[in-house]
Amino acid sequence: MRQGKRLAVSLLPRVLVPGILAVMVCLPVLAQERPSTSALACVRCHAAQATNQPQTPMARAIELPGANPTLKEHPKMNFRRDAYSYTVETAGDKSTYTVTDGTHTVSVPIRLSFGTGGQTWLLERDGKFYDSLVSYYPSISGLDVTMGEEKVVPHTVDEAMGRELGEGEAKACFGCHATHAVTEGKLTLGSMQTGVTCEHCHVGSAAHLLDAIQGEFGSAPPKLGRMKSEDISRFCGQCHRTWETVVRGHFSGEVNVRFQPYRLANSKCFDGADPRISCVACHDPHQDVVRQDSTYDSKCLACHGAATAGTTTAKACPVAKVNCVSCHMPKVNLPGGHMAFTDHEIRVVRAGEGYPD
Amino acid sequence: MFVLLWIKAVAKLVVVTAPRIRGILGDASTLGGRGLGVGWWRFMRFAELTYRGSRAGLFRFSLFFLLFFSLLVPARAAAQSDPSFDDLVQKAAAARERDDVPQAVELYSEAVRLKPDWPDGWWFLGSLQYEANSYSASQDALTHYVELVPDGGPAWALRGLCEFETGDYTQSLADIERGESLRAASQSRDEKVLRYYEAQLLTRSGRFERALQKYAPLAQGTVRNPELLVGIGLAGLRTPLLPKELRVDKTDLFKAAGHAAFLFMSGNPEGAQREFQELFQHFPAAENAHYFYGSLLFPTDPDAAIIEFNRELEINPSNAAAQLMVAWNFIMRNNAAEALPYATNAISADPAPPGARLALGRALVETGDVKGGIDLLGKESQIEPDSLEIHFALAEAYSKAGRKDDARRERMLCLQIEKNAPRQAASR
Repeated sequence: MRQGKRLAVSLLPRVLVPGILAVMVCLPVLAQERPSTSALACVRCHAAQATNQPQTPMARAIELPGANPTLKEHPKMNFRRDAYSYTVETAGDKSTYTVTDGTHTVSVPIRLSFGTGGQTWLLERDGKFYDSLVSYYPSISGLDVTMGEEKVVPHTVDEAMGRELGEGEAKACFGCHATHAVTEGKLTLGSMQTGVTCEHCHVGSAAHLLDAIQGEFGSAPPKLGRMKSEDISRFCGQCHRTWETVVRGHFSGEVNVRFQPYRLANSKCFDGADPRISCVACHDPHQDVVRQDSTYDSKCLACHGAATAGTTTAKACPVAKVNCVSCHMPKVNLPGGHMAFTDHEIRVVRAGEGYPD
Repeated sequence: MFVLLWIKAVAKLVVVTAPRIRGILGDASTLGGRGLGVGWWRFMRFAELTYRGSRAGLFRFSLFFLLFFSLLVPARAAAQSDPSFDDLVQKAAAARERDDVPQAVELYSEAVRLKPDWPDGWWFLGSLQYEANSYSASQDALTHYVELVPDGGPAWALRGLCEFETGDYTQSLADIERGESLRAASQSRDEKVLRYYEAQLLTRSGRFERALQKYAPLAQGTVRNPELLVGIGLAGLRTPLLPKELRVDKTDLFKAAGHAAFLFMSGNPEGAQREFQELFQHFPAAENAHYFYGSLLFPTDPDAAIIEFNRELEINPSNAAAQLMVAWNFIMRNNAAEALPYATNAISADPAPPGARLALGRALVETGDVKGGIDLLGKESQIEPDSLEIHFALAEAYSKAGRKDDARRERMLCLQIEKNAPRQAASR
């Protein structure tokens, strides 16, 4: 009898807790337009992080049809490139991507949108995934050729629609823009959560949640903020590209400005063991990026200001002590991207100097 | 004025009597090689311009006239000083042209005895002797040639092929590699021949991965000679033997493995999969068979590859190459802790597979033993100073250790190595 009771107690967390969790997880899903299950489940203990994170561009790195404000705001967009005309139309929860050469027409539903500002669409046709050859860019409030596809010269309407994604490329796209889309090296869209959720970075947080409900906190995932700067660059670089990935991929010229860990590592001041210079020293990944230059002054002055106990100081700027990034981290236009990125290669920028690769 | 008139007269004479002069200079340009041939052509061109009244032509013709004849006269004088040598050269060339190899060998031997510093003689002698299967003699002649012409790539490579036949395999590999570095194989057919021998020798020396890289382009054609398949099989199953050294009763295994890999390399992964499955059925205990298939799959399908590596470890738990690949797989998935025991096992093998130190170094750095990792990687960088992988790993290790100047230096080295490597620009 006692053994039976003990068994029941031991089964309780295994059977009931997942049930409770399922309810906790599902209720917010039903209540909110854009669910991020993990964040909402984590909010009870990690309110500061989990409340805002679902609104960040990372959390919305993939948007579902019907939940895409950009497409809703632009119910019909047109674009022409050479012999091909493109139309992206949204009606209700459905968006359709159409390309025609006047004789032949291909029209496919937009399966997913990758990105929140600028966005490229994932198209599905005959069981295969395609990267749309045309994307939306907020700075022109319309369509243009997808960045990186400028050299593609389509010969047919099918080719003009988009480029077929190989399995490896699809895994790479979903691996960064979604959570649980790749399991044990396989694309598992059935288990996919859109965007970057808690579990994406804090692997093991689901198990931690189960344990935490029972008052067990030993299985908490490692605190990422305690990693060394070099490790943080490597961690964030899994999606934002590490120094190594950029070099291996031969991304040279201004196109690599969007790979911040690479640019940061090229900075003379980057020290992989100094917590004052790392991705998270300046950015809180649970918040939207702050675009006010002065916000970052304190980060720069942590090294370039007056010395405090236990810290070393770097040379102070002879020009100014405010808005450091406006000079030392200039904005660089991304070729073909219709947008400018802050160059994370922190440096003294000299007039007439080219982009340091 | 008189000199100008004289030069113009000479130019006229040259143009008018060109066929005769060409006949005379033909011998000289043969002796002097292509340089004199080109010289003759220019000489004629400027003579013609001078004859037609061009001032520029006159100046250049005068300059060429002086230079050309200042070179030609001593050359002809030297050749004419020993009429028997000249005669021998002509007779040897004639014998060579009519494919009378024994006669040509005899005459070239006599010619180089008279004139031991005549490189062309040694080259013709060496290549003819190789053709006549006189490998030791050919090797000797080519040694004389490379002493006179140290950057003669084809001679180094041919000497390597002779050494292959005489069984001096270590020197053979060294000479073929040197020949390749000096662009010995300018023609596709020669390149294939060299690749084939080099791949066999690399296999014999235990450099299996490099051997497979050499074999890969040979699998692009339709040639499927059994020895090639056995060669690929030997490299893939990590057996340091030449095909001709393999026992006859062992041939089936290596040929089957080679054939499966040939299909994979020629772009037929489905066919390769079938062949490998048959191989696993017929030879379930074959060492390195699963490893071989896994290593072919790894670049395109690392998950399928890792299954094969683990199968290999079930059959042969001490397989260092498979241990290393499993370690790499974990490292690539940012799971250095899991990689560590595999990398440690791989490095304790004798000999440790190439890359084992790198894998362990990276695993140590990523699991917190930064100093241990730097020591290991530093030693490896001394052995392989141009390895991009090692410099990547060192850059990260130094950065983690707070040695930012060292990290920066390593990163600059990486960029330099990448810059020198053949590249394909990325766009996305």
